[in-house]
Amino acid sequence: MTKENKRFLDVVDLKKSYGSGETRQEVLRGMNFSVAKGEFCVLLGPSGSGKSTLLNIIGGIDHADSGYICIAGDRLEELNEKRLTEYRRQHLGYVFQMYNLIPNLNVKENIEVGAYLSQNSLDIDDLLHTLGLYEHRHKLPNQLSGGQQQRVSIARAIVKNPDILLCDEPTGALDYNTSKEILKLIEEVNQKYGNTVIMVTHNEAIRLMADHVVKLRDGVVRKNETNDHKISAMDLEW
Amino acid sequence: MKKKSMKNPLKKRVWRELAGDWKKNLLVSFFLILTIGFVAGMYVANGSMLTAIKDSKTLYRQEDGHFEFKDELDTDTKKELSEGKLAKIPGYKASDYKETPLHIYENFYLNLTEDRNRDGKKDGDIRIYEKTDDINLPSVLKGRLPKTKNEIAIDRMHADNRNIRVGDQIDVSGETFTVTGLIAYVNYSTLYEKNTDTMFDALNFDVAMVTKEGFSRFDDNVHINYAFLYKHAPKNVIEEKKMADRVLTLLISHSMANNNALDDYLPRYANHAMTFAEDDIGGDEAMGSVLLYVLVVIIAFIFAITITTTITKEASAIGTLRATGYTREELIRHYITAPMIVTLFSAIAGNILGYTVFKNIVVKMYYNSYSLPVYHTVWNGQAFLRTTVVPAVLMFLVNLVIITRMLQHSPLNFLRHDLKKSGKGKAMRLPKWKFFRRFRLRIVFQNLPNYITLFLGVFFVMIMLAMSIGLPDTLAYYKKKAPDLMFAKYQYVLKRYKDPAGNLITTDNKDAEKFQLHTLQHKADQIEEEVSVYGILPDSKYVNMKKIRDLKEPYVYVSDGYLQKYGLKKGDKIRLDEKYENKHDTFRIAGFYKNCQTIAIFMPMENYRKTFHLKKEAFTGYLSDTPINDIPNRYKGVTITKKDIIKMCNQLDHSLGGYMIYYQVLCTLLSAVLIYLLTKIIIEKNETSISMTKILGYHNLEIAKLYLFPTTVLLLFFDGISVLLGTFAMNRLWQEMMRSYSGYFAFHVQPVGYVKMFLFVLVGYLIAMIIDFRRIQKIPLDQALKM
Repeated sequence: MTKENKRFLDVVDLKKSYGSGETRQEVLRGMNFSVAKGEFCVLLGPSGSGKSTLLNIIGGIDHADSGYICIAGDRLEELNEKRLTEYRRQHLGYVFQMYNLIPNLNVKENIEVGAYLSQNSLDIDDLLHTLGLYEHRHKLPNQLSGGQQQRVSIARAIVKNPDILLCDEPTGALDYNTSKEILKLIEEVNQKYGNTVIMVTHNEAIRLMADHVVKLRDGVVRKNETNDHKISAMDLEW
Repeated sequence: MKKKSMKNPLKKRVWRELAGDWKKNLLVSFFLILTIGFVAGMYVANGSMLTAIKDSKTLYRQEDGHFEFKDELDTDTKKELSEGKLAKIPGYKASDYKETPLHIYENFYLNLTEDRNRDGKKDGDIRIYEKTDDINLPSVLKGRLPKTKNEIAIDRMHADNRNIRVGDQIDVSGETFTVTGLIAYVNYSTLYEKNTDTMFDALNFDVAMVTKEGFSRFDDNVHINYAFLYKHAPKNVIEEKKMADRVLTLLISHSMANNNALDDYLPRYANHAMTFAEDDIGGDEAMGSVLLYVLVVIIAFIFAITITTTITKEASAIGTLRATGYTREELIRHYITAPMIVTLFSAIAGNILGYTVFKNIVVKMYYNSYSLPVYHTVWNGQAFLRTTVVPAVLMFLVNLVIITRMLQHSPLNFLRHDLKKSGKGKAMRLPKWKFFRRFRLRIVFQNLPNYITLFLGVFFVMIMLAMSIGLPDTLAYYKKKAPDLMFAKYQYVLKRYKDPAGNLITTDNKDAEKFQLHTLQHKADQIEEEVSVYGILPDSKYVNMKKIRDLKEPYVYVSDGYLQKYGLKKGDKIRLDEKYENKHDTFRIAGFYKNCQTIAIFMPMENYRKTFHLKKEAFTGYLSDTPINDIPNRYKGVTITKKDIIKMCNQLDHSLGGYMIYYQVLCTLLSAVLIYLLTKIIIEKNETSISMTKILGYHNLEIAKLYLFPTTVLLLFFDGISVLLGTFAMNRLWQEMMRSYSGYFAFHVQPVGYVKMFLFVLVGYLIAMIIDFRRIQKIPLDQALKM
């Protein structure tokens, strides 16, 4: 089931709904699965299946109505806001579909924003080279292409060397080739630094590069499977 | 991987934020620096000047008080007075009297006329003292003290006001003197001719020093004035007042025992010539600080609104930062840094200017109003506290509250741009008006905090404008109205109503009408106000009150000035104290006399005589519309004319009038800056929408009509209503200010003044609107496409 066959993150009977009365909408209706340390896990599902909500709850920026998330033995719902922030600070890196860079900081400084949070951050220059951003390091975000901006956002997320890298549709706003480059990058990060990657996507093709695929529909897990024949991101086609 | 500690990279952003919005920050800094500089300058100048005044009391041997007898004291009386021993009078008891020994010094003076250009016409009054080394010494600011009988040293401020220089010659009651020095007497830091004057008069009143020989050139009535120092200095003001009361008891006993009239007694703390400048110098600080704090709070709101807009714009980035572990406190610290840097920078620059440029301006203002000794600049802790710490705390608190409130949202809310506390994005339903009208209304609702701050800013500017326009208006109004406010052109107060032969002093002047006048004290919170108590003829042609004939004791009529200053009403009781006696009288208000701005009460002569136990034929003097020439001058004490009434106006006009024009320009600029900063935020907030409307094909003028029109309408409304509210607020401040002065005149803005106030702010807005229009023109079409 897992890369190292060791459970790192448990999602247990997770339920979540929005609204009340007639407008009440159940987004998560009892989800259960586990992710191993260092695993590349893809949460796959159509729009409205609850995958982003699930990712946000794992990321500690949203709360479940019932059930819980357990990461390395800690149950998230038991953490107060301060400890949740500390949890995010120590363990999480976030990549969003929109890059959300700080407009008046250059590439290197945007990455430093992530590095500042960690006591064992990666070397920024190394990372800039790895991500092919070194020659752009003094540019402001509005001087970069979408793909370059997403690279910066990935760099900002992984520079603090997080245990878990959460990616919410990271290629949703990118073209085909750029998307593949970004996926390749995430793959390399996962392999090089050993972070656990949880990626939300509606792109079926991406499951082929994952160690573990959780298919969601209507707020429940429809399939929870390992991928023994994963392929490189560059070989993906859709 | 490597371990390291690094500076928060967001800090780099702060400087870029400051540079990126340099126009706003520059303008805000400019106004903060100016205001902080002026207030710091005020504190430093005040502190330095007050230190100089305080030190001068010892250095120049300032009296603890003075008294004047009709005749010179004999040696025995002087000895008894100096030992604090009451005169032995059969039956006279002063049970609570405690011996209060004094050092007594002769400090005789002459009240003479000054002819500056020596054309034979009187230009003003001059009080000359004989040179002494014992008491009330002068600080020499220029030149030297007189050495010969033809030399004179005159008051420095009066000399400045009247352009008299060292070496000039002036005539004093016909005698020519050469001015050898410009001085500041320690007992005349403010040139009050009489302690009962509403205002000092540095234009027409002068004090001077001549040698003993110079003094003897005059054979006029010498004022037998004695200055005294307590042998045992009082520990505090309360003790000083008690001792002063005992000295009065002592003086009265000797006055009675020797049948020597006590013409004047004035302890130091009640002497305006010595205390007014000191009190006034302190009083300016409070007003300056309040103006600074109001300005800081308004600027703090401008910053807070700007930051709120930035936070809204950067919601996604903030959400990401929060999601990756940045704490709310880190972000609050980040966003609050820019306004704090601007405030602290302005405070430092303002303080530097305060200690250098502005201090000198304030000092010049004081030297323009008061006769002050030489000063040295001293460090002022209050200035630092009031102009750096307090503004920084205010800026911090206002921004902290607003930024904290803004950053209360969860990371997810930021990521979703869901930053509204209520309503959750539901648009307010509007009536089925035309599209443009609804569009504009939405802009108003979207920018309500901006408009509220704009209103507060305009209101604040209007208070200052009301001051700068209202003060000259008020002074002009009273100068013009002064003749109407006097019930007679001349009020002759006689020294006595009978001549030495026992005959009543009379006049053949047909206009003359007898009246009675006595001064009592109204003990108010801040001052002991002197109240003129008039006894008038029932059919007086000067004080025209028909019902006064039927007035019974203790009913009196009260002047309009008295009514307004103390908010009196018909039926109220007023208690008035005798000045130098432990006695008081209580009156009840029957009505008001409108044509009198001084603090006065009126009663029929008959009631007056009963109240003060006077003989039937007793009177104080004559009211007349024409000069009375058939009464010898030796019987005339004081003559009150229009000049005395407008003395206060002239002095205020001289001290402050010239600054009011600058003040008006400053207010216009301030309104332009406040309006510019707030409308800039509105346009910046809507840049994308404006860009989109451009893409849709709207012209710049149409867009300006959409985005600037609501501001114009609201500004016109705020402008109009603030004219009224600002004048009302200034009126209340004026009332408070008047409570610390003797006398009263109401704040008055002429109709054209209201128009000016309205127009000044409007001009400020027009300047801002031109800049805003250019800003709209510059918004690129692709702004909307970047989102």
